[in-house]
Amino acid sequence: MVRRADLTQALTLAALVVLGLMTLFSTSRADFASQVGGVAAGLLLYVAAAAFDYRRLQPAAPYLYGLALLLLITVEVAGHTAYGAQRWMRVAGLQVEPSEIAKLLVLVALAAFLARRETAGRREVLMLGVLGLPPTLLVLYQPDLGTAIVFASLLLGLLFLAGAPRLVLASILAGVAVAVPLLPHLLRGYQRQRLQIFLDPSQDPLGAGYNLIQARIAVGSGGIFGQGWLHGLQGQLGYIPERTSDFVFAVYAEEFGLLGSLLLLGLFTILLYRVARAAAVAPDRFGFLLCAGAAVILFTQVVQNIGMNVGLTPIAGIPLPFISHGRSALLTYLVMLGLVQSVVLRRPLVSSGPAGRVPLTESGTIRLPV
Amino acid sequence: MVEAARPRWNGRLLAGGLVVLLVVSTLTVRLVQLQVGQHQQLAAAGVETRVHRVVLEADRGVVYDRHGVQLAGNAPAWALSMLPAALPANAVARQSELAQVARLAGVAEPSLGQLLLKAPDLYLPVTVKSGLSAEQSQAIAERLPQLPGFQLDQTPLRTYADWQDFGHVLGYTNRLDSDEYARLKNLGYLPDDTAGKAGVEAGLEVLLRGRNGWADVETNAAGLPMRTLAQDPPVAGDSVYLSIDAGLQQAVGQYLREGIQSAGVRAGAAIVVDPRDGELLALVSAPSYDPNQFAAGISAAAYQRLLQDPAKPLYDRALAGLYPPGSTFKMITAAAGLQDGKIGADSVLPCPAGITYGGWTYRNWAGYDMGQMNVEKAIAVSCDTFFYRVADSVGDMSLAAYARDFGYGSAPIFEIPGAQAGLVPDEAWQAAQCQATEAPGCRWNPGETLTMGIGQSALLTSPLIQAMYVSAIANGGTLLQPTVVSQVRTPGGRVAATAQAKPVSTVPVSPANLEVVREGMRQCLQAPYGTGFLFRNDRFKYDGGCKTGSAQYGGSGTDLPLHAWFTFFSPYDHPEIAIVVLVEGGGEGHDTAEPVAVKIADYYYSHRAQILGTQS
Repeated sequence: MVRRADLTQALTLAALVVLGLMTLFSTSRADFASQVGGVAAGLLLYVAAAAFDYRRLQPAAPYLYGLALLLLITVEVAGHTAYGAQRWMRVAGLQVEPSEIAKLLVLVALAAFLARRETAGRREVLMLGVLGLPPTLLVLYQPDLGTAIVFASLLLGLLFLAGAPRLVLASILAGVAVAVPLLPHLLRGYQRQRLQIFLDPSQDPLGAGYNLIQARIAVGSGGIFGQGWLHGLQGQLGYIPERTSDFVFAVYAEEFGLLGSLLLLGLFTILLYRVARAAAVAPDRFGFLLCAGAAVILFTQVVQNIGMNVGLTPIAGIPLPFISHGRSALLTYLVMLGLVQSVVLRRPLVSSGPAGRVPLTESGTIRLPV
Repeated sequence: MVEAARPRWNGRLLAGGLVVLLVVSTLTVRLVQLQVGQHQQLAAAGVETRVHRVVLEADRGVVYDRHGVQLAGNAPAWALSMLPAALPANAVARQSELAQVARLAGVAEPSLGQLLLKAPDLYLPVTVKSGLSAEQSQAIAERLPQLPGFQLDQTPLRTYADWQDFGHVLGYTNRLDSDEYARLKNLGYLPDDTAGKAGVEAGLEVLLRGRNGWADVETNAAGLPMRTLAQDPPVAGDSVYLSIDAGLQQAVGQYLREGIQSAGVRAGAAIVVDPRDGELLALVSAPSYDPNQFAAGISAAAYQRLLQDPAKPLYDRALAGLYPPGSTFKMITAAAGLQDGKIGADSVLPCPAGITYGGWTYRNWAGYDMGQMNVEKAIAVSCDTFFYRVADSVGDMSLAAYARDFGYGSAPIFEIPGAQAGLVPDEAWQAAQCQATEAPGCRWNPGETLTMGIGQSALLTSPLIQAMYVSAIANGGTLLQPTVVSQVRTPGGRVAATAQAKPVSTVPVSPANLEVVREGMRQCLQAPYGTGFLFRNDRFKYDGGCKTGSAQYGGSGTDLPLHAWFTFFSPYDHPEIAIVVLVEGGGEGHDTAEPVAVKIADYYYSHRAQILGTQS
């Protein structure tokens, strides 16, 4: 047993999924039940993705990219509107959120593109921008600010980790710094409103500010030890809006307190470390970028979601990975982490003889963990 | 030995790790801040959000007549209330919902928006409309699932019986306006509370209201109560048994309206009082209004109609209507003359068609000489010229003092608010008037003393003052405080208070002199020459006394019709009822007021056992 799967990653993941299911059970039995189905399917896909040789995705990248765009356009044309955004569609009787699936597809496509060369020069930066822009604009048009933020972070993060020149990165950051003050003018009505309410929640205590105030009350009510599982009154009595999706963290924090919140944050940190470590052991540049990008996506989602629950970041509908209800998202993250396992399972072998560690030129046969 | 390669951490990965650590630390600090630092404050805010002190409204006391017939009670009814926090967050959806509700509940849409803006607490329900009609509450109930933020509550609705006859006595409850609330909030009233505004409802508010309780209720976000954390139960208001006899009141109301109608006028008042204890058996002012309209929340348009109705239905003429007493005043002039020694019981004076005084001629109502007569007959035939002389010899100051002794010029202390004092003029009053107006040549004209002697001049009285004045003559000289309450009972049925006769004063007229006046009233009723001739019929077999009055108003020489008065007591020896009837602009007292009094007396004697029967 030379090449082992990352057991720590799998256990961390399991812990997160269990905490997520517990939280959903506490707030909505219906959402809990549907999430259980998602978990069952997700675990199968997770194992399948780990077994699948991620390198076979590289040649398929252009098609996957096209599929991502197709999904985003389809939802725009045929999707359902929820909370002012067109992000759901119905496929074979199941609600599907294509922007979640698109996250993974775009990640694979961008990683595959960057992996074609060992360095990321200006040409790559420019091309990456050209590739990244259409999906970002499409989700922004839905409008889904949260997913747009994820795409933008993915672009920046990949460029940084792929080794883009500092000067280029610095100028992109400078551009962002200039664009942020203009943002309120570029945003759509309800997005602008959300931003303003983030700055002053009391402005509209009945409307969007309500979410922020109630989430903050719930988190604060948790105290150090929490109100106890199934006993968070703000969550149980329905005062927390979107309590199984965007604001699930507030429900969790009320019931499990500061200790629970730090446990969750710690689990996510461990998970990020394991994904980053997978990038560090990846046998090729595609594997490295795939894992690095997965880490960026996870990090962005966790920070943005918990941030908005505690009032540090504006409200932008982003689910908390593995905790929020939503099967599309759950399956996407599980497949993504399954692919990370696939990278880990295909890391290079070294011979540790008397001469020290020597990389083997031939990667040898791959064996799955038993 | 072959093994997996060790991780190769490059600089950028490590830098990324640093970013992750920084951000995670920031989130940690924030979580500590919220969950430890602000825990108390935010937990308290949570309690404030979830737990609301709701008022447990006390049942208002029921009002009965003297025998326990319910006159004002509480019927189950539906009220629509709104929980602002549970309304749709989307402004467009909220607006369309408010518009729909406004239509269903029959309220103005802007006023709904106002209610929402003024809501002090987003989690406290605000009453949108109480007393919904059956159709309205059904229509709303059907659509309620599509109307988040609205709920139907079963709340008691004040209901009143037979408004035409009981309107002014019972009065009504209505929602407090902001001024009233500012005055009453220290007494435990709430912003959208109701209180008695008129009639017994207003006068006995303290008894009827009871004491509200409260409950701390934990609600879910949709406003549904989940559990009660603490409560203080309400205490219902006391029940009030009026001295009014419902049957008599209805009869009086009907006879009065008929009398008003046949006189071709709009308004009047009638009172039946027990002269032994001052308890009112009937108290009617016509036209009336429907208190039920107010209880259900009167519309601005309907209220304007009531205000602008030329017959002034909101105006309680029995207590607040002020009229010159006319000839019904003559008993006071007679008593004054007798008591001051200006005339004796057997003094005989002429009753010419007119007398000349200070260059003016003062006429009798009859255009011919009625011959010599004593004071008893002068009362019976209502001779004006007789009483001009008596008044002149008594003098204005003394006559005015006797008038005040009989209750004129001060508002009776009464359970129903609004009783007026009227006016007793004399030289002192005139001097004060002149000082105020500074009109040149302003002084008391001695001729005014003469006209005051027949109940004119500037004299003003109300039907209620008249009723107590006639009672004082009937009962032998005790001026009583009028009352409309016979008994107060606690919610448990214990008798908390029973009416007692409350003498205000004893009239300073000797029993012998008062007997002369009473005899004059008997002759008015029974002697062939008395003006109360309508009573001399086959059906009326009882004795008593009466006095008609036809009062001029609007100054002498005007063409305005006379106010018709009729005062009456019976039986003669031990009077148990006194009746006062006023028909506003009704002409001669014996033409329009007396027929009403005859019917009332007939009714009283044919139902006497029932009316005086023991209270249930």
